[in-house]
Amino acid sequence: MKKLTTSLIFALPVVLFGWACTLLLLAPAEPPFDWMNSMSVVDHNALVAHIDHHYTVATYVITWAIQLGYLAWLGLRWQTQKRGSARSSRNS
Amino acid sequence: MKKFAISIYAAVTVALLAWGFYQAIYIAPADDRLGGQGELYRIIFYHVPSAMVAFLFFAISLAGSIGYLSFRRSRDAWAQISDAWALAGAEVGVVFCTVVLITGPLWGRRAWGIWWTWDWRLTTTLVLWLIYVSYLLLRRFAAGPQMQTLAAVLGIFGALDVPIVYMSNRWWRTQHPAPVFGGDADSGFKDPRMLHAFGWNILAWLAWGLLILVLRYYSERRSQKIAAQDVQDALNA
Repeated sequence: MKKLTTSLIFALPVVLFGWACTLLLLAPAEPPFDWMNSMSVVDHNALVAHIDHHYTVATYVITWAIQLGYLAWLGLRWQTQKRGSARSSRNS
Repeated sequence: MKKFAISIYAAVTVALLAWGFYQAIYIAPADDRLGGQGELYRIIFYHVPSAMVAFLFFAISLAGSIGYLSFRRSRDAWAQISDAWALAGAEVGVVFCTVVLITGPLWGRRAWGIWWTWDWRLTTTLVLWLIYVSYLLLRRFAAGPQMQTLAAVLGIFGALDVPIVYMSNRWWRTQHPAPVFGGDADSGFKDPRMLHAFGWNILAWLAWGLLILVLRYYSERRSQKIAAQDVQDALNA
């Protein structure tokens, strides 16, 4: 159970990071410079808003990937220290 | 009792983060002015508070480094406590600075059309991050009794970059926008709901930062105690 929890804690930032990368990779291409020849203003604004949405979500997700990744590392360090201090007190 | 207090504080922090997120996404209106950034500007609610918290934690690292250098010959216990705060401040500061350096280029890619430019604000922030990463590498890989002293000196040196980063987009106006507070007439929030959302997110990220700072501090103190115990055991053997 403990191992499963630890794995999940470490998997979450990785999943979030993967999600952010996917959002950036799958973001639609920028409208061409001469977009006025090929699309309406409404379509252009919708496309720009869609790309912006991808980047905004990716930013929020990547922030949480970093913060939770650090928290997971802290948790692992805490567990290691706990084992180390138990071993130390047994030896002394 | 300590565990209970930390649990309550963690619960309040999670609630604040959820509230900050709600304010940022659902309450703050889109920037629909002519030439505004629409929904994209919402990145500010994570980007700027992260920078503010990073600065605060580098200041804590500075105070801890000065404390260590002041007490290292007279009061060993105080010196060790100061050193733990210096390390915790630097490490958590680097985490927040990393967030700033990743969210900034994502925003820049959409707002400016480029991922990175050698603008003063961006460059000085990168230098700040590099200095504190080198501080952490020194702590991790250097050995010997002088390590803490060298790290404290580097921590003080690194903190000197913080005011330069803060003032960079006031002294040298280049690509990075003017500051949200105290900038030119065109800067700042145009709608009070944006300002409220910004305030809540500063509070939430500060609360989160303090939580992980305290956890990191206790972890370092524990590590110092284990090392001291090991030395004692070796002397007794």
